[in-house]
Amino acid sequence: MNQEIHGELENTRCSEIIKILSLGKRTGRLMLNNGAETGNIFFQDGDPIHAQCGPIEGNKAIYEIAVWTSGEYHFYVDDTPDVITVNSSSEEILNEAAIRIRQMDRVSSLISSSSMVYTLDADINEKEINLKSIQWKVIAHINGKRSISDIAQIVGLTVSDTLKVFYTIIKLGLLREADNSDSVQQKLKAELPGTPFVNALNNDFMKAIGPIASFIISATAEDMGFDLLSDDVDHRAAFIETLSSKILDEDMALYFLNTMTDWLKSGAIR
Amino acid sequence: MKGTIKDLLKISGVYGYSIARGNTIQVKLPSKHRFADAKQRIQHLYESLMEESNKPGNIIEIYLEDIVLTIFLSGSTMLMVISNGLTNLALLRMTGKLVLATLVKEKHK
Repeated sequence: MNQEIHGELENTRCSEIIKILSLGKRTGRLMLNNGAETGNIFFQDGDPIHAQCGPIEGNKAIYEIAVWTSGEYHFYVDDTPDVITVNSSSEEILNEAAIRIRQMDRVSSLISSSSMVYTLDADINEKEINLKSIQWKVIAHINGKRSISDIAQIVGLTVSDTLKVFYTIIKLGLLREADNSDSVQQKLKAELPGTPFVNALNNDFMKAIGPIASFIISATAEDMGFDLLSDDVDHRAAFIETLSSKILDEDMALYFLNTMTDWLKSGAIR
Repeated sequence: MKGTIKDLLKISGVYGYSIARGNTIQVKLPSKHRFADAKQRIQHLYESLMEESNKPGNIIEIYLEDIVLTIFLSGSTMLMVISNGLTNLALLRMTGKLVLATLVKEKHK
């Protein structure tokens, strides 16, 4: 296999390579890789005749590859396909690719990569929002853990099409980035030891003040020099008392005190 | 836990309690306890604490030689718990807060 041209997509984007191969009336296979996916475009005398990117074939595959902005490419001379899936001329494909690239540039200004994770934003300002079925299909899979590429795979869309759907949903104000708050929350949660006392404390304190409970438990323990693993009932009671003073809602503070007092009193059997 | 006086009395080292509301003072202590006849002094303490300028906080702890007086205040209600120095005071404060909340709630019913 004769490899003649190769380079990086950061310097030369796919549409420019197609233009060069088209002008040179070249025959062979252009293989591109963006780190996550690989695509192939076959040329016959400068015209693309077959393209494939993952499960996608034909013109769609070219448009998917055309928007890649990083990765590498190699051109293998005289490599020919078994099938023909592209029937448009280079010029037509390049025009359409240019439109897609402009769209993707706009999307990239809002979403930096397909590895981004989003979660639904409960703080919606709009009174009424109309969603297309594809937007709804995507939203149904957003859970604060799945990346855009994961969701693309689940709903059977190309990554670039999924990015566009995300772009429209974000513009509607329905999503927010999950990375920061959610991962911080998990990190803070992970800092607490998983003893029965700490678990009970965390659960009841969370009911009283919400998801920042574990952070406050951790910070208060540090301030008081209290060892969360300590078995000392006196120290535990003093710690619970201090935590309860941080609950602004009086009823919730009493509820917390009540459940934790019960817990402490039955501590002898734990 | 229901947050009743019984819960307070179950705490190890607690001798008894006193509840003061307006002109009513109720003292529950073993008859031989030296505070059992201290109704007058508790009345003075209550009146003094009810004056806004004298109120140091919602929970006051007074350490005597072998006795600790833990006083809980809410509005015009005062709950005083008399215990020894070995009592788990944090647990006592937690329970006391709950008992006082129940007392105040009952008063408003």
